[in-house]
Amino acid sequence: MRDRTLKYLLVAPAVLVVAATAVWPLFESLRLSTYAGRLSRPDFPQAFVGADQYTWAFFEEPAFWNSVWVTGVYTVVTVVLTTAFALAFALLLAPGGRFRSGVQSLLILPFAMSPALIGVSFRFMFNPEFGLFDAVLTGIIPGIGDINWLADPVWSFWVLVAADVWGWIPFLTLVLIGGLASIPRETQEAAQVDGASGWRVFKDVTVPQLLPVLAVVIILKAIFSLKTFDLVFMLTNGGPGNATQTLSHYVYFNGFKYAEFGYASAVAWLMVIPMLVLTYFYARFVFDRR
Amino acid sequence: MTPRTRRRLLVMLQHIAIVLFILVMMVPIIWIALAAFKRHVDVYQLKLLFTPVLDNFSRVFAEPYNLGEKLFNSTVVAAVTVLLAIPVATAAAYAFSRFRLRAQTFLLAIILATQFVPAVVIVLPFFVMYRDLGLLDTLTGLIIVNLAIVMPFAIWMIKGFIDGIPIDTEEAALVDGSSRLQVIRNIVLPMAAPGLVTAGIFCFIIAWNEFLFALILTSKDAVTLPVGLALFKAEEGDLWNLMAAAGIIIMVPMFVLALIIRRHFVQGMTMGAVR
Amino acid sequence: MASVSLNNVTKAWGSVKGVDDQSLHIADREFLVLLGPSGCGKTTTMRMIAGLEEPTSGDILIGDRRVNDELPKDRDVAMVFQNYGLYPHMTVRGNIAYPLKVRGTPTEEIGPRVEAAAEQVELTELLDRKPKALSGGQRQRVALARAIVRTPTVFLMDEPLSNLDAKLRVSMRAELKNLSHRLQVTTVYVTHDQIEAMTLADRVAVMQGGRIQQLGTPEAIYNDPETLFVASFIGSPAMNLVRGQLEAGALKVGERSIRLPDSLPVRDHADAVLGARPEDIDVVDAGQGHIDAEVFAVENTGDSVLITVRLGDQKLTSRGDRYLKRAIDERIGLKLNEDHLYLFDAVSEKRLRG
Repeated sequence: MRDRTLKYLLVAPAVLVVAATAVWPLFESLRLSTYAGRLSRPDFPQAFVGADQYTWAFFEEPAFWNSVWVTGVYTVVTVVLTTAFALAFALLLAPGGRFRSGVQSLLILPFAMSPALIGVSFRFMFNPEFGLFDAVLTGIIPGIGDINWLADPVWSFWVLVAADVWGWIPFLTLVLIGGLASIPRETQEAAQVDGASGWRVFKDVTVPQLLPVLAVVIILKAIFSLKTFDLVFMLTNGGPGNATQTLSHYVYFNGFKYAEFGYASAVAWLMVIPMLVLTYFYARFVFDRR
Repeated sequence: MTPRTRRRLLVMLQHIAIVLFILVMMVPIIWIALAAFKRHVDVYQLKLLFTPVLDNFSRVFAEPYNLGEKLFNSTVVAAVTVLLAIPVATAAAYAFSRFRLRAQTFLLAIILATQFVPAVVIVLPFFVMYRDLGLLDTLTGLIIVNLAIVMPFAIWMIKGFIDGIPIDTEEAALVDGSSRLQVIRNIVLPMAAPGLVTAGIFCFIIAWNEFLFALILTSKDAVTLPVGLALFKAEEGDLWNLMAAAGIIIMVPMFVLALIIRRHFVQGMTMGAVR
Repeated sequence: MASVSLNNVTKAWGSVKGVDDQSLHIADREFLVLLGPSGCGKTTTMRMIAGLEEPTSGDILIGDRRVNDELPKDRDVAMVFQNYGLYPHMTVRGNIAYPLKVRGTPTEEIGPRVEAAAEQVELTELLDRKPKALSGGQRQRVALARAIVRTPTVFLMDEPLSNLDAKLRVSMRAELKNLSHRLQVTTVYVTHDQIEAMTLADRVAVMQGGRIQQLGTPEAIYNDPETLFVASFIGSPAMNLVRGQLEAGALKVGERSIRLPDSLPVRDHADAVLGARPEDIDVVDAGQGHIDAEVFAVENTGDSVLITVRLGDQKLTSRGDRYLKRAIDERIGLKLNEDHLYLFDAVSEKRLRG
């Protein structure tokens, strides 16, 4: 068989799988969003309503905007915190040596925990009666023990943030360690000999060379934060009320608790747009480096 | 203080910081692990020292939790997904690596993009389709969906590995008279085997931990472990020691697998944006 | 005063000694080359002078100052790295200006000094490019310019020419020689290339296994080697080394015997090595020289002809006139230049001086 035909045959199954399981549902979702579909009713989907559900979400549904707000703040906060901590730890762990390499291996472990599991764990630890973190924090700052973490709209948000940041720090740290390792040591030594103090070497030579990796880290984390569902479901289930209802959870809620499939699809599609933008920037990094 | 003393002090401070960091990272895991061996009453009393029991594990496998069933489901779904995904991904990865297809960048970009689409967008049409096709609450249904999720990772990781194999041996074989398929079978696959195993393990971990689709698309027969955890929450509310035991069963295999492939973790997750 | 001194300096990692209790004094404005194969400790020595490595024991002095505890930035040295270490995100101008900028030189001064340095290495046209848009030779000149823009106390160069292709290396060597002559700064230069060492150095320190085997002018190193290692490392093609027993002024090699001149300092030595450079061996007719042998190979290099003969299981190479003609397996005679013969002890590898 000639190479020319073979290469298409080799690629075909994968492309088919991706097309069937990812591309098609995307468009099907778009189609569904144009119908006022209530899944529970027998004649699903019902009337064609075009862009009505979109306009309704935008202009008339405060719950939608609540989710947008929650998701937005959540994304910004988690990206900033995770990146900052990951960078600090990466700098601590980068120099190498047996101790630090051993620690790096340990970092894989939290990452192998799925977000759902992390959600459960943090719920356990922030339980106001017997939660570990509750006890520790009460020990450090007395008076704080009165807080019922997950029943308070503000605190439940921060517990969610803490769980997310905790879960993602190991991975981002490893990525940044890789990034730091790829900076040629000679550029840093040259700066030292040229007269730069430790801080200036970092500012003038290390950080500029780290920027591409840092950008990848930030974009990746932003995408993961925007998508987050598992953690929210297990930790707070969007509550109390809808204080921690991210967009993914909002879609889930509307689609499967209220069975409003059409509306849920519409909101889901609205989520796709920022994703595509971020993915575009991410793709630049993946393809540029080849 | 001489620069040398100052440097030593700094190193010591760094070591302290590292230890603190590790503590914060490990404590939740250790705490859950401990809870799995505690009796209910120990959990409530926040005890550090306690007599460990294995009851929790036997209880989660019994009625009404039946974790054994869910363990079976998770294993089957993850294993079959990997067994299907890897060959398909390898074929495509080889083609992307060795041939220059006209639509290459486009296809790769699409594959990359699907990875970042939120699962909620896809799950709705899937639910409708599965309901019509009778695939709800079936392992087959879950496998199909997990294929969608792992395929992009698999293709990118394996392509990365194949890119790293020097092309000389293949070209020599072609000149000697092998057909392209023979070259793939006799030369590329053996050399890429470690990469395929790594990609397989990576996809296994992803499928094992997958939550949303399993939550939505199953109800009682095809429930997997992570969703099983959620069922604990609904039914029992506060039997944390049991949940912890279930959590351990979910976690431990993943820890082992993750340690095996740890060197390739970063590359896999970032799809080659960072080496 | 910008001399550099190392007093009993050792650098060890665990039980591995990269530099083993070495002392060295470099005079002000001297161009000293540290020469040796990889792993001999030359780069480690230089990095200790720069402050990038700390000696395990011993003192490093610049001028009269003990600098062991000083950071690189306070030692007033400039360094050219093997891979140049250019800042990839800055332009050439930014790279050259950086040492001035980071030391607080007033802005008005920076511009002209950068331009002056660039002019000295002929980079004036490339000032606004980034390193990745430059060729290897151009990058190397940026590294040089960055080092000279400051007029430091000591110059350090770590194999600066080794990443250039052969032709460029030769032309850059001449540039470096001229540059160093104009700048008149104490320079320490590390290389494994003995031609670079010979052509550039005021003095050469030949290093092996963490120790300086010989310290001297290029002439001394070439014409008066202290050890077998120095003798074989310098000179291309390498010095011929023939091992045998020295008895009554003749070297016995297997069944053969080489009559050696009386001017040699030692007449008897159990396990000896005779050294003679190819250019100090002439090809004559059989029976007319110190030794007869069959031709093993004939190589015409354009400017000379190398003839190799076999002596038991050892070989000797002679370098002769470019028009010399001999055939393989032909029996010829070799005449040794009596003023340039060397004897070494085979075991200690040291030169025998009687």
